[in-house]
Amino acid sequence: MTCWNCGAAEPARFCVSCKALQPPVPEYFAFFELAPQLALDEKDLQQRFYGLSRKLHPDLFSRKSPAENEHALEATAVLNDAYRTLRDPIARALYVLKLEGLDVGEQSTKDVPPELLEEVFELNMALEEARMGDADALAQLPGFRVRFEAMRAETDLAVAQVSTAWDATHAKQALTDLRGHLNRRKYITNLIDKTNVPDRV
Amino acid sequence: MAYSDKVLDHYNNPRNVGSLDRTSSSVGTGMVGAPECGDVMKLQIQVNDATGIIEDAKFKTFGCGSAIASSSLATEWLKGRSVDEALMIKNTDIVNELSLPPVKIHCSVLAEDAIKAAISDYRKKQGSEVATPVAQTVA
Ligand code: FES
Repeated sequence: MTCWNCGAAEPARFCVSCKALQPPVPEYFAFFELAPQLALDEKDLQQRFYGLSRKLHPDLFSRKSPAENEHALEATAVLNDAYRTLRDPIARALYVLKLEGLDVGEQSTKDVPPELLEEVFELNMALEEARMGDADALAQLPGFRVRFEAMRAETDLAVAQVSTAWDATHAKQALTDLRGHLNRRKYITNLIDKTNVPDRV
Repeated sequence: MAYSDKVLDHYNNPRNVGSLDRTSSSVGTGMVGAPECGDVMKLQIQVNDATGIIEDAKFKTFGCGSAIASSSLATEWLKGRSVDEALMIKNTDIVNELSLPPVKIHCSVLAEDAIKAAISDYRKKQGSEVATPVAQTVA
């Protein structure tokens, strides 16, 4: 890589020789000068975000060339996307899985353990019955919600544990486990969304 | 996003919703799920053991409109086909019939997977059945 402006070799975010802003690195961790990690220090990330927001502020580029302004805009867009993704443990985990080639969206149905599907199906059936039922049945919905939220809290704990494990070992198995927990979490979140008492006409 | 009329039709009047006796050796059950959206689909077939023709099919889907329509359509197509013919149903056939947009293709994949899973469950049951010597049960 060379600087787009002066041609100097190995430019950093700003070229070491002419100080021009370089096009942003698209990978979120690298953008923040971090190694990919699941259990990252969110305070530290916030600090990096504020620091970079200042350095990339559009006002600083108002008298620069159109090309550099363009890079500043791109960099700000990456900055915001990267921060939004990395500050949230679940979004961050999904992002790491994608980086590591285990994109949640590219799983086939066979990657989901049958027990999980059975469980989710049964819970959906019970929930549907409660939603379609009389006042007594509807009164069960808050109870379902409490139960599902407890399940989600358990899953979050499991996500946190396996996250720490992967940061330490970078073992593939930890990522596969992580994906399993996130799948489960998605199903539970859907169930939680369905526990709102339906509007009756 | 606008659903096609056919999707709406199946969504508002889903065909063959329900379940079949899961323990019966003539019934195959397929349970599949799409983890990225958190949807789950159960599809069952009842096969005439003598002819190999699917006589009944039922489904229950907790998911988006396209997944409901895809599985509803699948049960309609399954009835009256042989198990081998049923295996030839492709998700692209469902996409075409229901005019599903690209973002909804995975919902039809779910239906195809459910058909395959139901058939393989049925075949597994039949296979283990054959292993029991018939003479003994008849005598
Ligand atoms: S969005 Fe999940 S199956 Fe359609």
